[in-house]
Amino acid sequence: MNDGPLIVQSDKTLLLEVDHPNAEAARRAIAPFAELERAPEHVHTYRITPLGLWNARAAGHDAEQVVDALITHSRYAVPHALLVDVADTMDRYGRLTLTKEGLTDSPEGTRLVLRTTDRPVLEEVLRHKKIKPLTGERLDDLAVVVHPSERGTLKQELLKVGWPAEDLAGYVDGEAHPIDLDQADWHLRPYQQHAVDGFWHGGSGVVVLPCGAGKTLVGAGAMAAAKATTLILVTNTVSARQWKDELIRRTTLTEEEIGEYSGARKEIRPVTIATYQVLTTKRKGAYAHLDLLDARDWGLIVYDEVHLLPAPIFRMTADLQARRRLGLTATLVREDGREADVFSLIGPKRFDAPWKDIEAQGYIAPADCVEVRVSLPDGQRMAYAVSEPEERYRLASCSDAKLPVVETLAKQHSGEPTLIIGQYLDQLHEVAERLGADVITGETTVKERQRLYDAFRTGEITTLVVSKVANFSIDLPEASVAIQISGTFGSRQEEAQRLGRVLRPKGDGRTAHFYTIVSRDTVDADFAAHRQRFLAEQGYAYRIVDADDL
Amino acid sequence: MATTSRSLADDIRGRSDAELIDLVLARPDLARPAPADLTGLAARAGTRASVQRAVEALDRGHLQVLEAVVVAGDGADRSVLLQLLGTDDTKTVETIVQDLWRSALLWRGADGDHVVRTVPEVLGAAVAGLGVPMRELRPSSPPEHADPDRIRATIAEAPDDSRAMLERMTWGPAFGVLPTAAPGRTTARWLLEHHLLVPVSTDRVAMPREVGLVLRGGRLHRVAELTPPDIEAHAVSLVDAAAGGAASECLTHVDELAAAWGADPPRVLRAGGLSVRDLRITQMALDLDPEHTAFVVELAYAAGLVADDGEVVPVWAPTSEIDEWSSSEAGHRWAALALAWLASTRAPHLVGRRSTGTGPANALGPDVQWPAIRAIRREVLRELASLEPNRAPAPASLRERLAWRRPNRTAAVLDEAVEAVLREGEWLGVTGRGALSEAGRALVAPLVPAGRGDGGGGVGVANTSNGKRAARRRGDGGSGVAAGITSTEQPAVTVETVAAAMSAHLPSPVDHILVQADLTAVAPGPLVGGLGSFMRLAADVESRGGATVYRFTPESVRRALDAGWTAADFIETVRRSSRTTLPQPLEYLVSDVARKHGQTRIGGAAAYIRSDDEAVLDTMLASRDLAPLRLRRLAPTVLVSSADPRVLVDLLRDNGFAPVHEGQDGTVVHAETPRRRAGSRRRGPGPMVSPVDRPYTQSLVDGLRAAEATADQRRVEDETRPGPRIQAMDPVVTLSLLRDAVADRHGVWIGYSDGHGATSRHLIHPQKVEGGRVRATDESGHEKSFSVHRITGATLEG
Repeated sequence: MNDGPLIVQSDKTLLLEVDHPNAEAARRAIAPFAELERAPEHVHTYRITPLGLWNARAAGHDAEQVVDALITHSRYAVPHALLVDVADTMDRYGRLTLTKEGLTDSPEGTRLVLRTTDRPVLEEVLRHKKIKPLTGERLDDLAVVVHPSERGTLKQELLKVGWPAEDLAGYVDGEAHPIDLDQADWHLRPYQQHAVDGFWHGGSGVVVLPCGAGKTLVGAGAMAAAKATTLILVTNTVSARQWKDELIRRTTLTEEEIGEYSGARKEIRPVTIATYQVLTTKRKGAYAHLDLLDARDWGLIVYDEVHLLPAPIFRMTADLQARRRLGLTATLVREDGREADVFSLIGPKRFDAPWKDIEAQGYIAPADCVEVRVSLPDGQRMAYAVSEPEERYRLASCSDAKLPVVETLAKQHSGEPTLIIGQYLDQLHEVAERLGADVITGETTVKERQRLYDAFRTGEITTLVVSKVANFSIDLPEASVAIQISGTFGSRQEEAQRLGRVLRPKGDGRTAHFYTIVSRDTVDADFAAHRQRFLAEQGYAYRIVDADDL
Repeated sequence: MATTSRSLADDIRGRSDAELIDLVLARPDLARPAPADLTGLAARAGTRASVQRAVEALDRGHLQVLEAVVVAGDGADRSVLLQLLGTDDTKTVETIVQDLWRSALLWRGADGDHVVRTVPEVLGAAVAGLGVPMRELRPSSPPEHADPDRIRATIAEAPDDSRAMLERMTWGPAFGVLPTAAPGRTTARWLLEHHLLVPVSTDRVAMPREVGLVLRGGRLHRVAELTPPDIEAHAVSLVDAAAGGAASECLTHVDELAAAWGADPPRVLRAGGLSVRDLRITQMALDLDPEHTAFVVELAYAAGLVADDGEVVPVWAPTSEIDEWSSSEAGHRWAALALAWLASTRAPHLVGRRSTGTGPANALGPDVQWPAIRAIRREVLRELASLEPNRAPAPASLRERLAWRRPNRTAAVLDEAVEAVLREGEWLGVTGRGALSEAGRALVAPLVPAGRGDGGGGVGVANTSNGKRAARRRGDGGSGVAAGITSTEQPAVTVETVAAAMSAHLPSPVDHILVQADLTAVAPGPLVGGLGSFMRLAADVESRGGATVYRFTPESVRRALDAGWTAADFIETVRRSSRTTLPQPLEYLVSDVARKHGQTRIGGAAAYIRSDDEAVLDTMLASRDLAPLRLRRLAPTVLVSSADPRVLVDLLRDNGFAPVHEGQDGTVVHAETPRRRAGSRRRGPGPMVSPVDRPYTQSLVDGLRAAEATADQRRVEDETRPGPRIQAMDPVVTLSLLRDAVADRHGVWIGYSDGHGATSRHLIHPQKVEGGRVRATDESGHEKSFSVHRITGATLEG
């Protein structure tokens, strides 16, 4: 029994004791194949999944390295069955390969072939009724022809049956376009360069970098490597503008070469930045802007924030398998569990930044998360108890009891930029009235919104009351205090997004405050429990206080 | 053996004491019940049942040699034997022949080795897949048909298709159905005409043994496998650490099983066993796969830690033994489980299998009982023990070795059982990474008798439970604990030795946890007893393994408060046990749950007393005579009592009150649900089997010798007694002889056994034979009646 920092559990989770002297070495060793699931203060939880193992395989790690990493750092003997399972799982990757093969007897040139080194595997997968129709003529015992249009779907289905195919079929070059990095006054950081190289070498795949680690630059680096027309898909318009600015600043591209394809503008240029939203907009039941994907002979497609990629984009991507694809993200964990589709359609993980760098980037801002619990007055408790289930949340979160607490908190932080976030308009207006602050909701005009934002930024006003709609608005300025008075805990992703608005690293190192006001003993508190768990797992400090103790 | 014998009995009578002891140790069934004399011992050794048993215990090497001796015929030369076996390893063959002689499957006469008469019967007509000799198939056939040279010459001339047909029959079976279609028929006809096949019925043919032997090139088996196949093994490291980890997990599983069943015991099915649904619930509680769950359940049962509580509606509940077990030291806990596993005749891997006729076998049910598994388990462990430490066998080669050891077992069943034993050994920690752990070695040590080397050993250690005749899936419904039937084994291993061997490798228990802000607590190892049970109560288990991850939830905290913990104690216990500072949300959670806990209270009362006059109630409370009612005031105007309302009314009336009975609606009685415990199962001393060991055998042989001396003397006496010697004969023969005597008025000498079993001779003149009795006048002229079944033989006077 050695005294390692790692404990391997029988459910394939790995517990890493953070305070252990060898924790860093262990973390580096397991990062290539295990996904970080929870990162509270003392013991981090990683999980070994088939996808993680195949990612590691695609990145050139073999089972021996994985087993060695586990045995070296583990405190207790690693269950034998788990090691066998790891080896078996990793062995499944690469038994099937997709290759492009020249035709001797046909002038057309090449065809796509699914090849195996192991005949029973091919026989097994060809017996699946979803896979059979995707293939064509059987060439010999070890190979079968695949319709080029089914390349993506086939990879998806193969992954589903547990035999991921290694795609070696190569890519079209696309329409050439000169792009270079303009590194006069800056340079790619070493890890960014590694990420670009890793991606380019692998052909297609995902680069995982924490927020603020310069994912855009990795994208730019990839474009400079491809030197071809590029389609960049991003989550929203703000992000699109950021990309554009960065590209103009960091590459030889000029403003005229970069087009924006969004709700507002429809420009198609050698480098085009489009939003997911516009691509997935349907008109009369059909995707209206699907032509964009074929508008040019794209040499590279960049997917920003892969973990948010909407489902329709996956379907579209299945048809783009011949083009190089680069996915950028901070996490491979998806709320909808479609990690497998990212793996098969965009590609395996090509690069992962070590955790230390994340910390060096100041990823986690010092933030103070406080849950303030208020008791409902007796009358409201009665009303709550007898109300219909669908009414309960509204009753609980709009309690009058919350108003004095908001006032107290606003007073405590007077002078600091404060956002008050809520879901129900009546409640927001009431709060605004009591605090004498302005309200931004979905109904507020763009002009008015802009004016308020500007005033908030300059410090002219310090308090803004915003609805959920506004909360998602992309140009919401930074604040150092956020008070959430209502709002469900929708998904981890949504919560992260919302908190991200407040919890950005502050220039002066000030602590950000995030308050949530919750009615005790109601569904409101249940949602708060989810939030608490999420934040704690992300490593944020979290406190619960009673309203009376403020 | 210098002396020559005329029969098995002679041979056995001529053996030395040491040889006799060896024989009885190798075939313990000969000793029970103790035979009267050596002749009796020899007779028993020749019975079909006993021979069958001995043959079944043979490994493939011994079996092959025995088959060769049978085919070679009595008194055949050693060279014939070697030729049949296709080997020139004289030494090995000689050793094996010696073994077979020692176990009395062969006896030695003046002309060489003879097989015991029943051996060919037991082996069957088709020895090694060969057919019957020509002279048995066709007594009338001329001897040249069986001449190998003639056969060889005929085969050489045979048309290709005929030869192909012969080749198909070469390695058995030596019987075939005559083809009906034209080409096949012609082919077969050629063979029949040339006496290479012999018709046995209108449509069946047989290949004579002589032809088969020629086709096999004079050999009996494809390959001579006289020595056991090697077990391929590879070196593994960290065996004991892995075993220790597994053992620790196994203990946790049993703990959790006991906790789950103690709180909510599953029902016992009418046919015995645990329902599939309950097994699945248990599986979810333990977070294991189905096979593993079945193993844990059966293991706990075998160790007597859970049992049918025997109530009217029976449930599976932890026994009272579990409390003692839980509080023992981890090594002892493990040793108890491991020894129970070793002795168990239950085969958890059969759970969920469909047995014939009924549905899938239920865990703890009768279908899982399979006595043969114990012998297999021991054999697997014995093989593992024969390897160097820290070497793990390749499963395939281990399966081959066992198939060699037990050629009579169905290969598929044996393979499956071997797999299961290896898997279970790994789960239990008897093995680690496939190799026998130190503790496993200590456990198995008594099974590997010193001095009996691996490989060429004798007939092997015949285990009394190892018989095919033992009903394969005998359900005994009750005790699954087969308390050690250690017939031929040395004294059972002690718990202490095993416990000591395991203790060193169990992960040392930790006395602290790491509590985190996401309300989880990580125990980085097995927790010390008290803390472990507190954590199981106060938090839900999220992940198991070397460490345990617990999560505090409002429900789990409530559970602890229900069990009598106060919020302050709770927090204090966690704080004391935690190496990390307690996160504020946990403290808040506990106090928040505690705030609501007990806000409303529920109690039980059987009756209440209401009165608007509080003074009356005051008097009642103060009254000494009403004290037995245990009145309690809930509110100024309400008293409650646990006495029955009718008793209350009577007693109050006796004391001068005038109560009125109110309807009983609204009084609810809550009974505390105690943690259930089934009564400890009475584990008797086990089947009363005293071992057939060396001292016993020694005294047995001494007895036999003494009896033999007496028998010799009796033989001498016999010679001196009047009248002729009377051969034992078939009763049918005796009867016909007696009837003749009645008809001819002849005198007859009969052997007659009396009530004590002694045989005496009488000269009688039979008069009538009827109803199984003979009426006759004896020598003294008295008329007497003799039972026919007691007449051992008869011979006519003169």
